[in-house]
Amino acid sequence: MAASGCRGVRSILWKYGSCGKNFCVSRSKTVPQLPVRQICVSSSLWKKNLAAAGPQKFTQEFIDKQVEEFEVGKRHLANMMGEDPETFTQEDIDRSIAYLFPSGLFEKRARPVMKHPDEIFPKQTAIQWDAEGRPFHFLFYTGRQSYYSLLHDVYEKILAIERHQDKMRNKGLFTSETKQILLTGSRWLLKEEIEEYLVENISDHDYVRLIQLMEKLLSMPYCSLEEEFILKFRKQLEAQSSKHEIPALQYDPQGVAFSVADGRRKTAKASITLRDSGSGNITINGRNYLHCFPLLQDREQLMFPLHFAGALRLAISRALLSFVSEGEVERIRQAGLLTADPRIRERKKPGQEGARKKFTWKKR
Amino acid sequence: MAASVRHLLKPWTPSLCLVRWSRYNSYYLDPDPSKDARVPDSELSPEQKELQELKTVRRIKAALSSDTSSPFSDPLMSKFINMMMQDGSKILARGIMTQPREEIECSPHSVFQQALENCKPIIGLASVQKGGKSYQVPVPLTDNRRGFLAMKWMITECRDNKHRRTHMYEKLSQELLAAFANEGNVVKRKHDLHRMAEANRAYAHYRWW
Repeated sequence: MAASGCRGVRSILWKYGSCGKNFCVSRSKTVPQLPVRQICVSSSLWKKNLAAAGPQKFTQEFIDKQVEEFEVGKRHLANMMGEDPETFTQEDIDRSIAYLFPSGLFEKRARPVMKHPDEIFPKQTAIQWDAEGRPFHFLFYTGRQSYYSLLHDVYEKILAIERHQDKMRNKGLFTSETKQILLTGSRWLLKEEIEEYLVENISDHDYVRLIQLMEKLLSMPYCSLEEEFILKFRKQLEAQSSKHEIPALQYDPQGVAFSVADGRRKTAKASITLRDSGSGNITINGRNYLHCFPLLQDREQLMFPLHFAGALRLAISRALLSFVSEGEVERIRQAGLLTADPRIRERKKPGQEGARKKFTWKKR
Repeated sequence: MAASVRHLLKPWTPSLCLVRWSRYNSYYLDPDPSKDARVPDSELSPEQKELQELKTVRRIKAALSSDTSSPFSDPLMSKFINMMMQDGSKILARGIMTQPREEIECSPHSVFQQALENCKPIIGLASVQKGGKSYQVPVPLTDNRRGFLAMKWMITECRDNKHRRTHMYEKLSQELLAAFANEGNVVKRKHDLHRMAEANRAYAHYRWW
């Protein structure tokens, strides 16, 4: 069971895993079954050419076992936290783990995590050839069978739609005003997302080709026949206005509504209380804004020229959200008042005077 | 997969030092500060409808400190002020711009626009090398280039050719009024350029673009 040849860790896991399984099976008759877990592996067992062996491969049984353990562990965790195991969601799991194993590590990926094995173990393709070495898929020798088979499928659908069009024309029922697929508010899947879907690596050129073919499919009048196929490759974008958090409206002892909001710009921070009284007075740090800094240009909506003022503008816009209607929120967002300005001072580079200014150029 | 979109939405710093780059990714759209009532949906063309839909799902860049939703702000005016600004003192440049507005009593906004229109050249000259000699070839100009040249000439004129004791804003107001009436040095410069282009029209076929 210990270090066998140059396979190192993987074989340990396998063998231990399989031993563990047998162990578990034999024990189940005598002792109530407990999940057997791999605690740690010593790095002295790792051999030098581990990298040459390629990425780790997990068998389907291994992954199924992990899923089983995860489900059991989830129930245990729910019981530990005193919550209902049936309605224990992933957010609850994350919260519980953060509570039970508080970590001060900065790197989020280094912190303890408990997720479904499908999210942790990368998706792998199953063995693609049979016992005699003959591949199952007819496009195996292209090297990218999923991608090319997808292209084939799309082209098949295009041909099917063309045949349907011809049939309609023959019957005399051909119209261009057919039901169009609604594409607004969605985008094509990115190259990374397609790679995840196909479990294969594709190049940029391949991705562009795929999108071109899908666009061709979309350009046909009867494309609504393949609507659900196309929508599989489109991702819905949520309306951005819902992303901005509207501060809650609070009430004074006098019954005057007010809202509090913060804003930041470069290194300035502003915290604002916007009251509903309607007098129009603006006080900054207790002083009137005219005294605070000179009003150089008259502006609406208090857009001042200093960076200090950018923080104020953002805070005021955020505080205003709780007083206005939905349509107005969208208008404010489209005017660019809710985006925090990401511009900062550009750093000075070595070999130059400043951020952009270079030293005097000398020919020799 | 959400991670790849998330990296598009963060303020972006390039791994290599590029010359022209911004902290926004190309995913962000430009803001629209106008406050006027929107055209109702029925009157929009399909492209405009698509643009509106796109705006609801895309992120918008932060508004510039110089743009407001007031009817007094003008993109042309902002551009002119930025061109006139030196060493980043926008306050001074803006002050110089608002003073001729006080001097020009009736409709300074339209006077300014008409004056710049009158200064815009229609055709420009480009230097083309052929057979060892470089020729000045008449070439059509894009709208942006024409507007830029008009503003540049106006500013250079006001800086260089003024009497010692006149202020910038006085000279600017004089030049704007002259340009409005199609007189003055800037319009003269435009006519000179047109004459040169006319004189060199024999070389027009040297242009290959």
